[in-house]
Amino acid sequence: MGTIARRLAQLVVVVILSTLFAFALLRLFPGDAADAVIPYGTAAQKAKFRAETGLDKPFFEQYATWLGNLVQGDLGKDYQSNTPVSDKVGAALPVSLQLMLYAQLIALVVAIPLGVFTAYRVGTKADRAVNTGAFALLALPSFVLALALAYWVGVKWKPDLPFLGQIPVTGYEPGWLEPVFGQSAGNIGKHFGTMLLPAISLAAGLIAVYMRLLRSDMIATLQENYITMARAKGLSDKRILWRHALRPSSLTLLTVAGLNFGTLIGGAVAVEVIFGIPGIGTLIYQAINARQIVELQSYIAIIAIGYVLINFSIDALYVVLDPRIRRARA
Amino acid sequence: MVNVSTSPSLRTKLVGAGLALLSATGLLVGIASSASAASAPKPGGSVVYGLEAETGGGWCPPTARLAISGIEVGAAIYDTLMVPNSKNEMVPYLAKSVTPNATFDSWKITLRDGIKFHDGTPLTADAVVQNFDAYRKSTLLGAALKNIATTTATGPLEVTVTTTTPWPQLPWYLYIDGRFLIEAPAQLSASDCSSKLIGTGPFKLESWTVNQSLVATKNPDYWQKDSKGTQLPYLDKITFKPIAEAAQRVNSLQGGAVDLMHTSDGQQIDALQQLKSTLNLTQQPNGRAEVRYYLMNAAKPPLDDLNARKAVAMAIDRDQINQLRNNGVHRVANGPFDTSVIGYLKNPGFPQHNVKAATKLASAYKAAHGGQFNVVLEHTNDPANVAEAELIKEQLGKAGIDATLKQDDQTAFVLAAVGGNFSILLWRQHPGDDPDAQYFWWNTGSILNFGKFNDPTMQGLIDQGRTESNAAKRKQIYEAVNRRFASQVYNVWAYYDQWTVAAKKNVVGVAGPPLPDGGGTPALLLYGRHPLLGISVNK
Amino acid sequence: MPEPEQDPMPGLVAEATRGRPIDAGTIEMAAVETGPEVRRRTKKGLGFAAWLSIGWIALVVGLAILAPVLPLDDPKDSITEIARRGPLADAGSAPGHLLGGDFNGRDMLSRLIWGGRTTLTVATIAVIIGFVFGGLLGLLGGYFRGKVDVVVSLLLDVLLAIPAVILALALVTILRTQPGTKGGGLDPEVALILALGFVAIPVLGRITRASTLSWSEREFVLAARAQGAKHRRIIRREVLPNVLPAMMSIALLSIAVAIVAEGTLAILGASVETDTPTWGNMIAIGRINLQRAPHVVFEPALMIFFTVLALNMLGDVVRSKFDVREGGL
Repeated sequence: MGTIARRLAQLVVVVILSTLFAFALLRLFPGDAADAVIPYGTAAQKAKFRAETGLDKPFFEQYATWLGNLVQGDLGKDYQSNTPVSDKVGAALPVSLQLMLYAQLIALVVAIPLGVFTAYRVGTKADRAVNTGAFALLALPSFVLALALAYWVGVKWKPDLPFLGQIPVTGYEPGWLEPVFGQSAGNIGKHFGTMLLPAISLAAGLIAVYMRLLRSDMIATLQENYITMARAKGLSDKRILWRHALRPSSLTLLTVAGLNFGTLIGGAVAVEVIFGIPGIGTLIYQAINARQIVELQSYIAIIAIGYVLINFSIDALYVVLDPRIRRARA
Repeated sequence: MVNVSTSPSLRTKLVGAGLALLSATGLLVGIASSASAASAPKPGGSVVYGLEAETGGGWCPPTARLAISGIEVGAAIYDTLMVPNSKNEMVPYLAKSVTPNATFDSWKITLRDGIKFHDGTPLTADAVVQNFDAYRKSTLLGAALKNIATTTATGPLEVTVTTTTPWPQLPWYLYIDGRFLIEAPAQLSASDCSSKLIGTGPFKLESWTVNQSLVATKNPDYWQKDSKGTQLPYLDKITFKPIAEAAQRVNSLQGGAVDLMHTSDGQQIDALQQLKSTLNLTQQPNGRAEVRYYLMNAAKPPLDDLNARKAVAMAIDRDQINQLRNNGVHRVANGPFDTSVIGYLKNPGFPQHNVKAATKLASAYKAAHGGQFNVVLEHTNDPANVAEAELIKEQLGKAGIDATLKQDDQTAFVLAAVGGNFSILLWRQHPGDDPDAQYFWWNTGSILNFGKFNDPTMQGLIDQGRTESNAAKRKQIYEAVNRRFASQVYNVWAYYDQWTVAAKKNVVGVAGPPLPDGGGTPALLLYGRHPLLGISVNK
Repeated sequence: MPEPEQDPMPGLVAEATRGRPIDAGTIEMAAVETGPEVRRRTKKGLGFAAWLSIGWIALVVGLAILAPVLPLDDPKDSITEIARRGPLADAGSAPGHLLGGDFNGRDMLSRLIWGGRTTLTVATIAVIIGFVFGGLLGLLGGYFRGKVDVVVSLLLDVLLAIPAVILALALVTILRTQPGTKGGGLDPEVALILALGFVAIPVLGRITRASTLSWSEREFVLAARAQGAKHRRIIRREVLPNVLPAMMSIALLSIAVAIVAEGTLAILGASVETDTPTWGNMIAIGRINLQRAPHVVFEPALMIFFTVLALNMLGDVVRSKFDVREGGL
């Protein structure tokens, strides 16, 4: 348990330092909230605005105030429209979470069977074909796939599917997670329809990564002694594969899936912009464009905290689940 | 009795005639019913409107910076005192009458009785005066309204406005392209005035999630009814969605995500015209379109030099730009006025495309300035603007003028304009209102005279045009303004930017119902704005 | 001496990645690398795929270098007749221009070649920056361990906690040319290179560190230390020569990642000045024409795809040839 506590402390330090770094970095942003809100104002008016919003205080004081507010759930305000940032986050977070969830689910549902299958049949034509396909998929950037899908579905195919409806190339319909954040739910069928293309665009790259890593891992696992023993004992291949070999390799997958959270946010920004999905990625992109520094700090903080929490959960999970680690630490 | 068995041709003819008669009757009935259906829009339904941008700055008069998207939302939630009709006359709208004195420096605005704001408070002269005060405090609109001396409530429903000079065109300033929205005192004094929208308009604000959607629902106590006595508006709900890229807006319309959208992008208008049969297109007619132009900073080198400006104007091939960027959909402009605006001239003398002459002037400038002739083409990060800027850069390069591209988000762009920190801006303005409505863009020292040109001749002309009431004389004055722009080349006029509103086939009524008190029909898409109270959804 | 910071994923994952850390930056790279079983097969010579990749890279790089002297159309010259015409376009194909014209009527072939020049330059220099600074940090942390390593690891972790795309976007915005504001600002291309280089630092730093960690434990290094050799000497003579070859494949993979990153940033408006073509730029601005002139988007997209594929292939092959660590140890 000492390890966990140590790790937690370490992660808290990372969060503080990364938010501090972001804070410092954003100080260097050209222009500021005063310019954005009252661009026609005089210097005196802008100074008054900065004084009212505390934007003229020294760096560390601002950081401390901001951190204190953050802990209490106050993420600051979008000065232009007077909306609290927490409202904007509340609206965008469920969107991004749903998108990432779907992308991960699609990826895992496709990658796990493929990974297991190709590890089992390593060296065969089928394995080589799938492996090569995955290798090629790795080279396909998600924004390229997004545009290709937008073209094919939006211009050429224009399908009207049951339950999902017309697959739109832009726009978003709220889904099932919004009520948790205080927003209203939407038409679920339409919701999936709007999320289909973005999720596939993000999932494709993930499929390739997960499949290949799982395959590598499982090939190594299948060479372990206990697998040979299980075979000798007469257990069926299927049983060995899914119940004995997959379990330790699934830890790899879990780790990788969790670590991908950060990369997924990054990749999602371009996909969100292309498909017009109002998630955190779009929020960040707009905040950068509009030089809304206060907002940006909060968004980066949320992501950093989320990333770190996931890392921590995975570490904790490892310690609990992997008997080898538990034994090693004992 | 007709012997039908003997002559098949006769029988066929009779049958044919019978069928024809039947179908004709059917057709007549059909026409009659559809005509009556068309003339009796059914209340109910809701639409999603795809707008060009979000109005992040909100709708609080002292700080609002409304562009067409904000103005369109304003058309839903608020009313203006006056509106322009299709004959380009300003007619009373929220006001019952607006009467000047003989010298046009004292105006009596009489309000309609019994109108309430969405929060139940009545529309009174005091409320209107508060609005005037708020707008005059704004740096932006305050500059436009500078000529107002006093505003007083001289009766429960009467406001008197006095102006420092005779101002026959004040009615246009009670509208300002749809920006002079009459807001409830509760909004004006609220701390969240930017987002707490309370007006007298056909729709009430229900919710606003910035960058996502603004939802407005029917105001059941709206003060207008249609010609059949049905309460307006027809729609129960409008959801405004900002979709910045025009191509995406068109996609959204095709895909059904929005029911209406607007655009002035030439290529997208071309695309929409190809889809004409599946949509209801409402297009701004020629005559009062705004102008796309390249605004030059006449206060800073190199464009403080007239020959430098001429070189830039002659290097730019506006026909090529119109072809490449707009698929030829728009018309090239040679001045700030479109064909139906007084002051329009077919040939005001604006320098035409001439690479040789441009190169000569450019080299002369370079020779006198250490071999340097650099300009910066500043534009917003809309891909269409980016493409246009790239084309201009290339054209300038052919004449030996070095152009750099600078991409801005909307905020930085406005800041650059106001602060005078630019060289050339890709701008769009001057819709076909009365030319006096453009006064504050060209007034020396005005915050909105971004090019900061200080031209006594121009100043004299626009001052004259403001106070003059004789139509023939005004025509001459503004033609002179047009010629002055051509000879001084403060701006490079590119093309007239006309608006198109595209709607699903079953969404009708974009043009709006006739104006109250026989005011005529509303001006069609002037500055891209159109009323929302007449829109209905056919089943 | 306190134990070096354990990567939190011992056991099989470490095996799967051959001892390199799996973190947000390296997941894709780890996925590119093939496992032991395939390597055993291709011991003799390079495969057909590898030669194809070398050929493609040589072609692209060659064209990029030779661009100024090739008989190409001016990539910035608009020819109205070919605007938005090309393969698959609504308006039909462009006479005399095989790959068509872009939205302003500029020749696509020439823009693809010049675009490759800029894209490859940006990607390569960014990776070099990442290697120099990240590599230095990684070397120091991996070799000296202890407190140095704690600081280095913390630094790298902090930078990794912010998603690379967002960090790069923020950096580009800060560094870019801002004429009119008081600070000068950098040319957009320089800003892009620095931003991409900066986000490459933590990724490359972690990999270098892991590699250095394992090499520093070898007997010959311990022996050199026992003999009293100075740290600098040991690093230069014993550690670096062994770490570098392992890094060669990482370099190729990183360039591929940087090319894709440039594309992502271009879509977000953060790439170079927009009339200078880069593959990412062309896609980003060409997007509005996706419906009626898709070639404007798909030609540069295919260039990115094939180049990244070739780099991935080469990176894998290089690693299997030169990275001797796994060979039967």
